[in-house]
Amino acid sequence: MSEPKVIMVSSDEERFKVDQVVAEKSVTIKNMIRDLNPDGLTEDFEVPVSTIRANVLSKVLEWCEHHKTTVFPDEDDEDAKKTAPIEEWDRTFFRVDQEMLYEIILAANFLNITPLRDSGCKIVAEMIRGKSPEELRKVFNITNDFTAEEEAAIRRENEWAEDR
Amino acid sequence: MNLQDSCLPKSNDHDLNGSPFAPSTSSSISKSHSAFDSILSSNSISTLTPSSSSNSTTTTTSYILGTNPITRQHQTEHNITITDKKSSIVTRLSTPPPIISSSNTNESSQDSVVTPFLVKHISDQSLIPHNNYHKYCYRHNPDITCNKSTDEDKMIKIQSALEKLPSRDQEAISHVWSIFSAAPSQHRQLILQGMLSQCCFPQLSFISQEVSTLIRIDFITTLPVELSLRILCYLDCRSLCNAAQVSKKWKSLADDDRVWHHMCEQHIDRKCPNCGWGLPLMHMKRARENAEEEIAPIKRRHEEISDDLVEGNGSSSSQPESSQPAEDSSNKRPKIEELSNTTTVSPPKVLKKRPWKSVYSERYKLEKNWRNGTYTIKRFLGHTDGVTCLQFNRKYLMTGSYDTTIKIWKIDTGECLKTLEGHTKGVRSLVFDNQKLITGGLDSTIKVWNYHTGQCIATYRGHEDSVVSVDFSGKSIVSGSADHTVKVWHVDSRTCYTLRGHTDWVNCVKIHPASNTIFSASDDTTIRMWDLQNNQCLRIFGGAGNNGHIGQVQTVIAFTYKEDLIEDESESENETHKPHHNGGIHPTIIGQARNEAQQQQERDRQQDLQQFNNIEENVEVEQQPQETSNDLLWDPTYPTHLLTSSLDNTIKLWDVKTGKCIRTQFGHIEGVWSIAADTFRIISGAHDRLIKVWDLQNGKCLHTFGNPSSVSCVGLSDSKFAAGLDNGVVKMYCF
Repeated sequence: MSEPKVIMVSSDEERFKVDQVVAEKSVTIKNMIRDLNPDGLTEDFEVPVSTIRANVLSKVLEWCEHHKTTVFPDEDDEDAKKTAPIEEWDRTFFRVDQEMLYEIILAANFLNITPLRDSGCKIVAEMIRGKSPEELRKVFNITNDFTAEEEAAIRRENEWAEDR
Repeated sequence: MNLQDSCLPKSNDHDLNGSPFAPSTSSSISKSHSAFDSILSSNSISTLTPSSSSNSTTTTTSYILGTNPITRQHQTEHNITITDKKSSIVTRLSTPPPIISSSNTNESSQDSVVTPFLVKHISDQSLIPHNNYHKYCYRHNPDITCNKSTDEDKMIKIQSALEKLPSRDQEAISHVWSIFSAAPSQHRQLILQGMLSQCCFPQLSFISQEVSTLIRIDFITTLPVELSLRILCYLDCRSLCNAAQVSKKWKSLADDDRVWHHMCEQHIDRKCPNCGWGLPLMHMKRARENAEEEIAPIKRRHEEISDDLVEGNGSSSSQPESSQPAEDSSNKRPKIEELSNTTTVSPPKVLKKRPWKSVYSERYKLEKNWRNGTYTIKRFLGHTDGVTCLQFNRKYLMTGSYDTTIKIWKIDTGECLKTLEGHTKGVRSLVFDNQKLITGGLDSTIKVWNYHTGQCIATYRGHEDSVVSVDFSGKSIVSGSADHTVKVWHVDSRTCYTLRGHTDWVNCVKIHPASNTIFSASDDTTIRMWDLQNNQCLRIFGGAGNNGHIGQVQTVIAFTYKEDLIEDESESENETHKPHHNGGIHPTIIGQARNEAQQQQERDRQQDLQQFNNIEENVEVEQQPQETSNDLLWDPTYPTHLLTSSLDNTIKLWDVKTGKCIRTQFGHIEGVWSIAADTFRIISGAHDRLIKVWDLQNGKCLHTFGNPSSVSCVGLSDSKFAAGLDNGVVKMYCF
């Protein structure tokens, strides 16, 4: 017989049947399976993830599938995590619109898939890095809510970081 | 397909308590507050009548095919294809797509859903039950204001375009919009699918362009705070400062203490592997002010730097005494968190916390000055002959000279506070802490001074020739002499040991207190490492096989460096001996060192006894047990690296574990008399009259400063370095 699978049900009730190792990339689901099946899975396990749309869930599972054997750097080593560059595959994976990126980050946070969450955060950080305040407002569609005086004061306050 | 349901329930930060992914009912309707509504309501109230059609999907189809002017235009342009498309759409739309029918339980009702929604939408918004659990999507969240302004611009354009059309067309178009606006999310998706499948490529291209500018999300503002902070933690300081200028919300997050604390951890007292920047630790201003009377501890050496940390909390009120020096070599990186915990507990008064951003920026400005070579020069004039040695802390600079005196200078004003006289020949070496100053001279003596009073407390005699180097730690003094020996003077037990092995002048001795070892550099081109406990020579650094110096070694600095130091490639490839795993050293050299040490100790004991009995201190020498351990194990407290300078014009970096030279820094064209180093930099002064500033991590020369006379000694702190010249002048470069 084949291994029992994990069935994840999206908010729009689409069902995704995946291998246990794939689903357990999510620490949330891993813990859930451990808690409810201390002796291991004997039959298919259904998990409703009613906060995640099917589109997003399928992306997240695509990531989990790709990384099912990847060993990630030490969780506790903040330094290694910060230094690690975004993997090329992840970079391609995140070539999506901002809404999808946004929802993937939230989903990864909810499902507790740390490497995916961190990759997503790094992608956003890259969107921010090296841009002027005006460019940032444009990229993220932000209204400048400073008065002219405030803006000038804040610019002076942050001048020290310019021109290395 | 990037087009997405615009009313998707989504996390929002106004949902304070719950997780951003709190469950929401799949049928919940988004209340549209966008400007879109205003157009709809202004144009369509009178014209909309409840549709009599019983099936929502067919109603939609008929509008699209019948009255939509876009479709008409489409028809004229693509006469041939349209008929096929039309029929296919009709068939597709009349049979509900399987996804919806299978997933949506509400769909089972055969009554029109659009009609009641339209009625609800137009007649009265309040009809929607108040207890209905609403989740807004990013776009329609009334709390997010930034979208709306761009939406408004677009709405004005749409409005004016609409007004140019005949009223019947206006009516029809707005009808389509109203239906869409009123439809629940599943229907909206269906409507869009239908519309998209009719679009030809130029229209799809238009959509994809529009969509890319429409989907712009203010991640930093709308993500949960911990995620926003995480994102910001991935940024460099310049990007963070730009982010702080975007909007009020961004400012509050980009200036957050947690982000800058992280930045400080990344950069202070270490070179960040990401950006190559490292910032000096720097001492607390407050502590500086408190210690008005006291002279604060020395910061001359690498391994002592991290004693007193960071003014981040500005709360530690006392300076650590140098009587507990450098117990931290294994703990060199500042554990800022731990320290801030302990320091906030200890002081009785609550002191105002300084933002980490300002801690960072202060250090950043200083580091920028170092990098750009922005500095001012102070000169200390008074010595009548060449300056041979110097050391300084935040307040005082002490210099020794061939003119036989030691001068104590106030750094701020440049005035000479005291001139200590007592040596009968030139002073070659000095070292001081809060209480005392110890000097070694060409008159073969070591003198201990209370420099507050200017009194010479003690004079140690024993060397048979000039004392050219002294160092101390706790109650032990170490001296290196022209008589080829190193002597260890234990002040408390009044004993003195002579370490023999060098075959020429010993130019520099340094105690590494953490591991209780001594390093000595000699004219015989080698450096030796000694165990202060049993007076044995542990290791010899030198020789062609190890790529050692070929000239007299003038200075040695022992330090621990945890990150990667750049090594010379060719030199590490040249290695003939693989290092043993237990920190093995070249076995013949160890053996040789041990034999020499054993033989000589025997002889020295007698000599030392005599010497001590002869001099005024009346010290007795204890018998030292001979240790004959087979293997020298690597002690984790040992320093990891040595830096040495030599009259062969080079500066070398050594791996203590393997005993090999791993990097040679070229650049000086005459002998390098003196070097000083901290976590980031090496300062070197040479006979070629140049002072060079080097990057410790990669060994690159950053700056070169010329002088009118050769440079015999240098000293370094976070923000300054000092150089003593052969013509008697002392210069201080302040960054």
